Amino acid sequence: MKPNLNTKSENTWCPGCPNHMILESVKQTIVKLIQSGKHKQTDFAITTDIGCHAKIFDYLNLSGINCLHGRAIPTAIGIKMGNPNLKVLTFAGDGAVYAEGISHFIHAFKYNADMTLILHDNQSFSLTTGQPTPTSQRGYISKSAPLGVFDKPMNPIKLALASNATFIARTNARDVPHMVETFTKAIAHKGFSFVEVIQDCLIFNPDANNKDKQMYKIKTNTNKKIAEKLADEFDYNSKRGKISLGIIYQSKEPTPEKKWPQLSELLRSKKLWRDK
Amino acid sequence: MRLNIIIGGKAGQGINKVSQIVSNVLVGYGYFTFNYRDYQSLIRGGHNFNTLSISDVQIESHEARADILIALDERTIKTHRQALKKNGLIITADEFKNEGRNINISLAGALIKIFGIPLVELEKEIKSQFKEFDKAIISAKKGYDSQKIIHQLKKLNNKPSILSGSQAIAIGAKNSGLDLYIAYPMTPATNAMNELAKDQVENKLMVFQAENEIAAANMALGASFAGAKTMTGTSGGGFDLMGETFSLQGISEIPLTVYLASRPGPGTGVPTYTAQSDLNVALRAGHGEFPRVVVAPGNPTETIEKTSEALYLAEKFRTLSIILSDKHLAESEFSSVESSNKTPKFKIIRKIPGKNLVKNSSYETDKFGNSTESYRLTTENANRRLAKYATLKDFIKDKFEMIKIHGNEKSKNLIVGWGSTSGVIKDVIKDLDAKFLQVLYMKPLSNRIKKELQEADNVILVECNLTGQLGRLIREKTGIKIENRLLKYNGRPFHTDELKNLIEGMI
Repeated sequence: MKPNLNTKSENTWCPGCPNHMILESVKQTIVKLIQSGKHKQTDFAITTDIGCHAKIFDYLNLSGINCLHGRAIPTAIGIKMGNPNLKVLTFAGDGAVYAEGISHFIHAFKYNADMTLILHDNQSFSLTTGQPTPTSQRGYISKSAPLGVFDKPMNPIKLALASNATFIARTNARDVPHMVETFTKAIAHKGFSFVEVIQDCLIFNPDANNKDKQMYKIKTNTNKKIAEKLADEFDYNSKRGKISLGIIYQSKEPTPEKKWPQLSELLRSKKLWRDK
Repeated sequence: MRLNIIIGGKAGQGINKVSQIVSNVLVGYGYFTFNYRDYQSLIRGGHNFNTLSISDVQIESHEARADILIALDERTIKTHRQALKKNGLIITADEFKNEGRNINISLAGALIKIFGIPLVELEKEIKSQFKEFDKAIISAKKGYDSQKIIHQLKKLNNKPSILSGSQAIAIGAKNSGLDLYIAYPMTPATNAMNELAKDQVENKLMVFQAENEIAAANMALGASFAGAKTMTGTSGGGFDLMGETFSLQGISEIPLTVYLASRPGPGTGVPTYTAQSDLNVALRAGHGEFPRVVVAPGNPTETIEKTSEALYLAEKFRTLSIILSDKHLAESEFSSVESSNKTPKFKIIRKIPGKNLVKNSSYETDKFGNSTESYRLTTENANRRLAKYATLKDFIKDKFEMIKIHGNEKSKNLIVGWGSTSGVIKDVIKDLDAKFLQVLYMKPLSNRIKKELQEADNVILVECNLTGQLGRLIREKTGIKIENRLLKYNGRPFHTDELKNLIEGMI
């Protein structure tokens, strides 16, 4: 029987918003994982941040916490500590992670909990009506920044590499099969997997939209030097430059769930803290 | 009987070793000790001192005036000479400079002789502390032989044990079966973290240091959601950073217990000293309106009890529990023969991920745990939070000690205080016509407080803060303003002799 991931909540994303496709891809990914018999629906726990992306919390019939702004990552790490047998997924936006919660992003790679971050990057704070985020392109004009953004955008892929990420992938919010493939690989990765979903905001930052022509798919890369080159190809700013999709970098590092004796015992015995 | 010893020196010279050895020997000999630690925010050098107070009855405070001054450096003599009583004794480290690293052991030996305690008691203590003790025993004997007996102490039958407030937090947490302690280092909360971290694997718990207090609080909430008994701890600055997460606790109703060990603010303040100035923030941190428990133990025994109660209440009522302490309680070493009350045991029986589908949120939610903006549900949820607080208050009133009355119950002189100041008040009123109302639960606040205030002729508020925060809370809840206030806010707790003089002048 197909698991039911739907909820009764009214979907309030804008018509045509790529978030609808991200939601569909997440559902397909999780349904497959449940149907494969590897996981139960109750094995999943999600955290969501604050912003348009976070409405996904209401549209997925999965356990989880709809967190504070910027704090979806540490909350998820806590869930994983509280029960290392759960499959933990965090959904967050570019404003949430690259601005408000940037410290947690960096430390998440250092700690390398076995969980997945799906980052909806539409290069703007959309739910608060279009202020610039750290990945907004130079010159982006909004009500709060009428003079335009003066700075070069942050390159989160480079930051992730510098932070010793063990899994960095990028995918396209217009490409459901590629998202499903990438999310599946990210969830299968042992360690902290980071997937950046390149997403258009149809309302607030149309200048950054329609990057499909720049995108191309790569094979899984495990070479750090190549990963750095791939990260450099797209600066989140210019209309030129190639945008690689797929696993930009993957490496093997032991996870805290294996290193901490307390957590590895819970994992091995499939026990809860309360049954310790 | 009361003796007071000041032991001073530079950081790193080992003053704590002197008070530790002497305290252990004295406690083994049936005496009660109280050790106050006065140290600066530096690692080597400067001037640190301990005041070790000794008595044949239980004490929870130290005096300003000293019978003996142990000086590991010249500055100690300069700083504390005026505190020395008439005929007081100074012992300097110079007398034992050939003992090298064991100078502090010689000084401990000197004190043990002054108290007329047999050398064998000291040797026993040294053998229990050091693997290679031969040289230490020689140094101890050198110190012992250098002095004459001045205060002959008879062996007593008391069997006190020594505990700091930080150790008590760890004991209380372990009694309740804590699974995870997630925090970021901050004096004076860190020692509780260290205590729990020490034997974490054996104790089947985990201590995790997060990248900051914001992460620590959110991780703690996540872990609690997943079904672990979880606690975080910090001091004022870190507590401020956690404020938003407390608010998230309020709406998500995921159980969370926080240990707040305060120190003088605002800002970085005087980081290694003490104050009771964070009661207000403990009561109010976090935006919006939601229930919480704030409990303020006064000594290690109460800390063990109240830590367990806080964890119990957090889980039972899915609320925020704050254990309010301070540097004076956390880092002073108390000795006591009291045993703590039976731990209120509990198991997590609520729905948890892995077993059930469970959704908690920072948003107002419908019955599925999904976001809602409905005016009806917004009202209903708020009313439910308010009702929960009423139930919580009734429950605590029936089940736990919210206030304590010490001293002469019939006295019309009423001292009101809380937390780490309770110890010195209890010691001071032993010889006075006064009763002491110790407030343990700050939220909810006991209804009995109003009655006690109304029955007294003379009420004196004693707190270690600038504005009399408990006094203001009592006024808010009862309408009664306590006019007489003894407030100290120089980072140092009240001394027994100091407070006694002040109170005697008012009753």
